[in-house]
Amino acid sequence: MGKMDKKWVVLCSAAVAAVYAGGFYTTEQDAVKMESAHYEFLNKQTNGQVSNPNKEKTNSLNSETINTPKQQYRDGTYTGMGMNRRGEIQVSVTLKKDKIVDVQISDWGMHYSEEDVVNLPDQVVADQSYNVENVSGATYSTEAFKNAVQDALSQAENS
Amino acid sequence: MRKIKLFMDTLIEIKIATWNGTAEKEAEAAAERAFEHFRKVEQACSRFNPESELMRACSIAGKPVNISPYLFGPLKFALEVANATDGRFDPTIGKAMEQHGFNQNYLTGERISTASIDSAATYRDIILDESTRSLRLKKPLIIDLGAVAKGFAIDLAAAELNGFEGYIINAGGDVYARGLERKDTPWKIGLQHPVKTAEVIEVFDISNQAVCTSGSYERKNEDNPENHHIILPETTRSPNRWVSSTVIAPSAMLADALSTACFLMEAEEADILLEAAGARGRLITPELKIVKVGGNKDDI
Repeated sequence: MGKMDKKWVVLCSAAVAAVYAGGFYTTEQDAVKMESAHYEFLNKQTNGQVSNPNKEKTNSLNSETINTPKQQYRDGTYTGMGMNRRGEIQVSVTLKKDKIVDVQISDWGMHYSEEDVVNLPDQVVADQSYNVENVSGATYSTEAFKNAVQDALSQAENS
Repeated sequence: MRKIKLFMDTLIEIKIATWNGTAEKEAEAAAERAFEHFRKVEQACSRFNPESELMRACSIAGKPVNISPYLFGPLKFALEVANATDGRFDPTIGKAMEQHGFNQNYLTGERISTASIDSAATYRDIILDESTRSLRLKKPLIIDLGAVAKGFAIDLAAAELNGFEGYIINAGGDVYARGLERKDTPWKIGLQHPVKTAEVIEVFDISNQAVCTSGSYERKNEDNPENHHIILPETTRSPNRWVSSTVIAPSAMLADALSTACFLMEAEEADILLEAAGARGRLITPELKIVKVGGNKDDI
């Protein structure tokens, strides 16, 4: 096996450059498809297939109810909570016409205040290497996250 | 500035260092644009969405299909790695993955089931034409880009953030770090302990490099815990020589693909592969012995 380090890094950069050079941004069609996936997700949840014992709503969603003009959820951004092994998780879910358009973890969206920055170097010294925030090989469980999304959805529900 | 969103069945975290006077607002807007790349790559490369470019292309064998750079780039790269490893790494593993239970869409909960295909298909049955940017399958097969797509999305997101002096993108444990976290302090990236998952087993100081880990401990097959999501194409079984394989390389797509390839190899083969690719790594045995591979053994 010969030296291929340059070749492979070049291939990776070329793949990135092709996207940028093409100005390849989402076609509307793709966006709609992605949203339809979210939409089904939404329907599944209200059907109780994602477990939530507090949910009583059991409307069966067939094509008729999907086409019902009255929205199931109010448009806007809603906050939900869930738990996982890293502690409590807070999400903000943005809904538009019964579609999830954005999901963000909101309680980790912290901003360093001046005070935080002052303390950080000490913290690094104190913690040494065994308490680092960035970990390779750790796939976060998305279960807690999904519960938090569902919590947000229940708040957005049209009564 | 720190933001976390969900894409590709995992949490994607972007942090931009603001110690150097970087404006929060600018950083937030750039992070949003970076996240968009994850959305695009997921739309193009998802094996779990029958409407993705990838799955639409896989439903047509025998004739060329035009594909976007969001699919062409990672696919071409996956084929290069397949070629260099003589098929030890092979993106036509999709059907086997599906049969092993990795067939559920994380958003819809739906399970996919594709038509039966020729199990003898390999990466050599995928023909790419650079001039027309098209893909032709010689026989029906299902492509899985799980070992490159996330890395590719990280590289695209990184290109979006390159105006900033320091940032980090962590896509469920595949990480790219640029510049410094603080003045004189490089980013620290811990390698997750494969058993005590709340701990790290080693820490790297990283700048302008990606660190990707393939671990057998993360995504187990629910019905058969012996099988995990990294499958040897030849046997369609999961090797258990290593519990995790980590690669450090200048590009996330490179590190991502190589960490999977090394997981499927003996230490000696992995060492040769990484050295030739200008990368370095760590392989961890089930007994938690750490084996250094690639790079310069003296300075890592």
